[in-house]
Amino acid sequence: MKQVLSNIIAIYRKELQSYFVSPLAMAIAGIFWLIAGFFFTTILLDPQRGILAQVAAQTAMESQMGVEAPPIDVPYQFMQFFLSTIASLSLFILPILSMGLYAEERKRGTLELLATSPLYNWTVATGKLLGVVTFYATLTAPLLLYEAITFSSAEPPFPPTIPLLGHLGLILLAASVLSLGMFVSSLTDSTILSAVLTFALILFLWVINLIAENIGGAFGEALGHLSLLENYNTLVQGIVDTSSIILFASYIFLGIFLTAQSIEALRFQRS
Amino acid sequence: MIEVEHLSKSYGNLHAVRDLSFSVADGEILGFLGPNGAGKTTTMRILTGFLPATSGTARIAGFDVHDRSMEVRQRIGYLPENPPLYPEMTVEGFLHFVARIKGVSAGDRTNRVNIAISRCGLVEYRKTLVRKLSKGYRQRVGIAQAIVHDPPVIVLDEPTVGLDPRQIIEVRHLIKSLAGDRTIILSTHILPEVSMTCSQVAIINRGKLVTTDTLDNLMGQLTGGTTYDIEVGGDVDGVESAIQSYLGNLPEVQSVEPLSNAELPEYRFRFRVKAEPGCEPGSEIAAAVLHGNLKLFEMRRTRASLEEIFLQLTTEEKSEEMLEEVSRETSEEVSVVGSESSDTDLSDATSTIAIAPEGEPSQISDTTHSETSNDGDADDFSDEDENDTSKSEA
Repeated sequence: MKQVLSNIIAIYRKELQSYFVSPLAMAIAGIFWLIAGFFFTTILLDPQRGILAQVAAQTAMESQMGVEAPPIDVPYQFMQFFLSTIASLSLFILPILSMGLYAEERKRGTLELLATSPLYNWTVATGKLLGVVTFYATLTAPLLLYEAITFSSAEPPFPPTIPLLGHLGLILLAASVLSLGMFVSSLTDSTILSAVLTFALILFLWVINLIAENIGGAFGEALGHLSLLENYNTLVQGIVDTSSIILFASYIFLGIFLTAQSIEALRFQRS
Repeated sequence: MIEVEHLSKSYGNLHAVRDLSFSVADGEILGFLGPNGAGKTTTMRILTGFLPATSGTARIAGFDVHDRSMEVRQRIGYLPENPPLYPEMTVEGFLHFVARIKGVSAGDRTNRVNIAISRCGLVEYRKTLVRKLSKGYRQRVGIAQAIVHDPPVIVLDEPTVGLDPRQIIEVRHLIKSLAGDRTIILSTHILPEVSMTCSQVAIINRGKLVTTDTLDNLMGQLTGGTTYDIEVGGDVDGVESAIQSYLGNLPEVQSVEPLSNAELPEYRFRFRVKAEPGCEPGSEIAAAVLHGNLKLFEMRRTRASLEEIFLQLTTEEKSEEMLEEVSRETSEEVSVVGSESSDTDLSDATSTIAIAPEGEPSQISDTTHSETSNDGDADDFSDEDENDTSKSEA
């Protein structure tokens, strides 16, 4: 067991290390921060569509009409809107992060090293997943700082649990997607193909609830529960729903399991 | 240490390895020899547990490579065809990583990495990124990762591919120095490598084991009679058959057969003179040719080299006839192959005794080159010897 843990850490560290020197990782981080920052300021401060401007307009209207409308929870509204934007942005970034996880190892022949070392396949997969999730968490961490600064001026004070929970949801969502993406990556030598397939797969899981609504019935309802976005939104709303967390955990384990199986199968069919 | 029994592997209809059996004792270095596509890499991948066999078993240190894969993996160091390297890591960082996943304890790791680095001559490059290394140095890092955890069994798939001659020599010395208590399998299609480094040879072709024996035995089985290829000239019609019977009647000559003389000018003929086993009638043949007023253009002593054994054993039509039949019939094929491959030099296996310019019968020159290259020493084929002889000739 100690050895297994040591192996996971070894793989994890190797993966993390590779992000520090990878131009691709740098580019992704740069673009992500740029776009996330842009959305953050736009959603908050845009003179027309910004949430503060809307609130101001609504307040002005209410005072004109003389109607007492229920107060708007600005930070809460903002959090939801912002985090769902970040999730959509991640839809594009996550396949790029996961595409190389195994495809690159296959292409470079380093899979042969891993597969002939005393490592279990799931050890490697877990280490890799932890590595890439850590990288994604690093990408989203600064956003938490933005939020902390913004919400510090909220009146009445905004409970920090809501953004924290939202970010936990974001990371769980990313881990699920990356885990499945890792599996897709283990199926091919081509990183591009891996990215495209992963994108298609998560797009499908993203909107599966829409499909489910059309199907209807018990099956449709069951299918609807598989939606990544639905379950993500539950967490973003600040609701700790065990079923959502279990669903994400299932996706993560499924991804690791399938990856391990696919690597095992690879050894049986390679020609 | 390594036991392979009736190993087969097929990809669909393609039989990469067929009924392969051999074993390697502790401390032996087995040279795994075969043309490209013979199934060497497949066999090695099965041995290292990377591929499962279709049928048959392989055991390393008593553990089945498939059923007890983890035990086997702990005991092997493996250099695949393409060294498995992470270009973004430093040499040292990479070796630390490998040592860790191979299960070297934390306290031992630095020490093991240092040993591997110094053994493979990578001291100056320890902080260099793998990406920035040349092909030869990457190969060294590949070897270093195979030995970093001090495994009892080392499997090297074509370890000297892509290296320059100097590096090849260094790697061969490195491999030799690794032997002793370790068991090594090394695959190659370069023959000198085997005669340089290995104590045992397994030749495979088209997935089948052709022969496995010690190098000395393999060479020893071929020390039958010597043959001479001669090219003589005479200007009378019908002289060819006359020469043939004339030479055939010489003492110690077993047989004389004409060779193709299609490319020769008129009235020149080539023969292959086979001597009785244990005899060296070279000077008698030369004297007889001169005595008979014939012109001697070329006379060459040939002896079976590892190249010939290899060709004999792996050439399709002849693979069945195997060792008993290994004779000089293939020397023409040898010369073709020898000129193609930069690493095999036929001039080491056959020595020119006399070459007469312009049809004049000339004196028989016997250089040190022909002496050294005829003593049957395995080092015949080494690069060093090539260098030495070329120097002495100069």
